[in-house]
Amino acid sequence: MKNKYAYIQTGGGLERKEQPIDPLSKPSGPGDQESGPKRPETDSPSRDNLMKRMRKVDPKQAEKYRQRTGE
Amino acid sequence: MHNRIFGIETEYGLLIKADQPDVSPSWVARRIIEHLFGQKKHGVIDWHYRGHDEPPGNGGFLLNAGRMYVDMGHLEYASPECHSLWDLVAVDRAGDWLLQDCLDELGLSELVSIIKNNIDHETDATFGCHENYLVTRDFPFTYQGLGLLMPFLVTRQVFTGAGRIGMARSVDGWISLDDIEGRGGDRSRGSAEEGVLYQISQRPDYIVNDFFEWVQHNRAIVNTRDEPLADPERFRRLHLLMGDSNMAEEATLLKMGTTGLVLQLIEEGHAPQGLDFDDPVQTLRAISHDSQQKWMVTLSTGQHLSALDIQEQFWEAADKHYAGQDEETDWVLAHWESVVKDLRQGYQAVVGRVDWASKLSLLETFREAEKLEWDDPWLKSLDLEYHNVDPQAGLYHGMAEEGDAPRFTTNDLVELAKGQPPRNTRAFGRSEIIRHIVKEGWADFIEKAIGHHDPRRPPYVINWSVLQLQGSPAFVMADPFRSYVQESRDYCDEWSSRPSMESLPNKPDI
Repeated sequence: MKNKYAYIQTGGGLERKEQPIDPLSKPSGPGDQESGPKRPETDSPSRDNLMKRMRKVDPKQAEKYRQRTGE
Repeated sequence: MHNRIFGIETEYGLLIKADQPDVSPSWVARRIIEHLFGQKKHGVIDWHYRGHDEPPGNGGFLLNAGRMYVDMGHLEYASPECHSLWDLVAVDRAGDWLLQDCLDELGLSELVSIIKNNIDHETDATFGCHENYLVTRDFPFTYQGLGLLMPFLVTRQVFTGAGRIGMARSVDGWISLDDIEGRGGDRSRGSAEEGVLYQISQRPDYIVNDFFEWVQHNRAIVNTRDEPLADPERFRRLHLLMGDSNMAEEATLLKMGTTGLVLQLIEEGHAPQGLDFDDPVQTLRAISHDSQQKWMVTLSTGQHLSALDIQEQFWEAADKHYAGQDEETDWVLAHWESVVKDLRQGYQAVVGRVDWASKLSLLETFREAEKLEWDDPWLKSLDLEYHNVDPQAGLYHGMAEEGDAPRFTTNDLVELAKGQPPRNTRAFGRSEIIRHIVKEGWADFIEKAIGHHDPRRPPYVINWSVLQLQGSPAFVMADPFRSYVQESRDYCDEWSSRPSMESLPNKPDI
């Protein structure tokens, strides 16, 4: 998807500027597309990296997460 | 998006990872606020009382015209007003990054994680992600009018839910003798041991009413308070607190975009009829708890439908009336249709786009690899880590980094949105005045004045619809659709041409 806004350098620094540019492309239907990311294969490189992230998580950290009730 | 202003308010959780009794979430929140406004000058701190629960120095408005503050012990970020959904997704992520930047700069990131979720598993606390939609004063704020919104809100969780392990043990305000005596009590409505191992949304266990005007204890599906924060003769603000904090950008866009379109259907008399539930609160909860993900519901008419069928009816009405309305509407319509169709194939078809599905996929993979049972505490810890806003650690961010979660903004735009407001709403005018205050050195002045300043005569007051600098008249921004670009610059120029700060009566002797 193309973004509607671009950022430009001006005298006042970076500014966001609305661009009359490429219309957003509609996704095609699920029948004629890959229909978004699927659950990756367990042995894929991306899943390896995610597994590494998950294994780094302290198994007990949820017990330390004690919050006040908010709104 | 056509005729709509959007905003999101996020309450963050703070995870203290080490066992350090002198480091509490409230201490970390204070350090971050002081760093953000005092050291970084990334906005201007409020120097007046905001209601009874916000003393001076509790928070302030940011350069991007949003607000960062402490609310009920939580860091809370209120986004600036956005007319565009693409702006909204950028400023929403910018709030995460502003906080993570502070944590990194304070050297606290090894000790603390910022968690963008809505529950803790240990104490059953909940905290919100509130959505704001500006509607016209003519919007039917009646039980009948808002009732048309109810079936949409109850069922949209199939693509807006953030997912969680287990369920809350008891709702606020209801502690039964059975609970106290350990006999289970309210657990009869479902618990981990009864099969709610994982549910698709975090907030349904805490929603106990269909309509109500307050935001804590007795939370409702539709909050009915009338606080437009704009011209009350022209506008109302629909404030929803039943949704989850989303990590997936597509989920954020769909949550806000589809709700905006359904509000338009109601405003213009095109909303689907006859989809009422006898008990919307129980239906909301039952959909979230349904481990089979069939999401079948019974209407007041006795008809049985699935949540997806109901979403499809709303989509059909919106597509019929608003296709071609503008680019963002077309994007929302296309992705709404796609996600509902894909959900019929199973949750794996929407991994990366829908938070509960992404999290479930990660948990299932990890559980299988490590041979863990569903009640293993490690899975709760991973549940939290999905919401860690640190791109180097958070599991959602890990998926995005690997290309498994589609992005709809860019890191450059998020970086920009940390300090720049949307340019086509009144956020722009507010930001101009905030910048002027910072440029004129008032932020430094205030910092030095701590302990000397009289909060009854603050040098400035900034609010969503009105601002005032000491020595100048109030600057009113009653129309959120206007940028007030010229008026705000003129206001600043006039203020600067007034007598210098030294001659103002409130200058402290420092």
